[in-house]
Amino acid sequence: MPRFDTLNPAWMLRDGPAPALEGAILEYTRELEKFLGEIERRAFRMAQVQLRNPDDALDVVQDAMLKLARNYASRPSAEWRPLFYRILENSIRDLQRRRSVRKRFMTWLPGMQQDPDNEAQDPLDTVADAAPAIPDVLMQGQAMQHLEVALRVLPARQREAFMLRNFEGMDVAETATAMGCSEGSVKTHYSRAVHSLREQLKEVW
Amino acid sequence: MNGQVPEQPAEAFEERSRALFHDSVDGLDFALRSRLTQARNAAIDAASSSRPPWFSRIAVLAPAGVTAAAVLGAFLWLGSPMGQRAFTVADGQPNLDDLEIVASSDGGSTDALDMLQDDIEFYDWAERTANSGPAA
Repeated sequence: MPRFDTLNPAWMLRDGPAPALEGAILEYTRELEKFLGEIERRAFRMAQVQLRNPDDALDVVQDAMLKLARNYASRPSAEWRPLFYRILENSIRDLQRRRSVRKRFMTWLPGMQQDPDNEAQDPLDTVADAAPAIPDVLMQGQAMQHLEVALRVLPARQREAFMLRNFEGMDVAETATAMGCSEGSVKTHYSRAVHSLREQLKEVW
Repeated sequence: MNGQVPEQPAEAFEERSRALFHDSVDGLDFALRSRLTQARNAAIDAASSSRPPWFSRIAVLAPAGVTAAAVLGAFLWLGSPMGQRAFTVADGQPNLDDLEIVASSDGGSTDALDMLQDDIEFYDWAERTANSGPAA
């Protein structure tokens, strides 16, 4: 009688991928590591500008890395950057929404008073958090601090377009993919962002 | 002197913004860099341990396909004249014993008969052991 363990038609179920497939996985894993190593600090700073809290920024960056690795690592590496930033922005917005809900809930509790400064024109833009400020060690002088404050005042889409185009150096097409909008919208958001930032910063820069 | 701050061109503003941002990135402290590296390593581990989606689909669909093909083959074979001849005996009644032997054979009918012989011997031995009573 044939022994069961000599019948191995489903090798992939028990023994892992075939050598060729394993080589391919190893290859894109190396590429992915290189990509993430290049992008992680900028991504962290961009998240920190929006969230103000370094721990939260680190969480969303880690979350974006994991999602990219699990779901999109097999995609062409040229697609990774817009995909990564799209995931990152979605994570940031989710976190900001949760903060907003939590803040509203806290104001309903007895003994909690609503802070009039939190009456936001756009909750995604102006949600505050518990962290009072960015640690000094992370700041590169007054100019960057002013720029961060000015960026937080911008509408979310303008801020996103500015950071992706200017900080990350993405072209219009990549930015459009990352933002999930048309290239024309990217140009409009970016132009308005630059105009608004220059207006805000012209006295202090 | 009108007291107004001269406005810098848009290109200069963009360049300065970019430079400030990259300076701030370079100024990240060691602890944060280390935590980012840990996060990256966790992501890489996740990527290397996960398999492409088509891979898991193959793993699920392959046994299902084999089963479906076996069922279809059995139906076709039983529906054919050759299958009918093998399935019936002279009085027209289906010979289910033959079908069972064929269906249960892995490497040929001799293996199935060997198994049957083994079972008979086993049951015979079991009956003798039960009848002999407990050992003294």
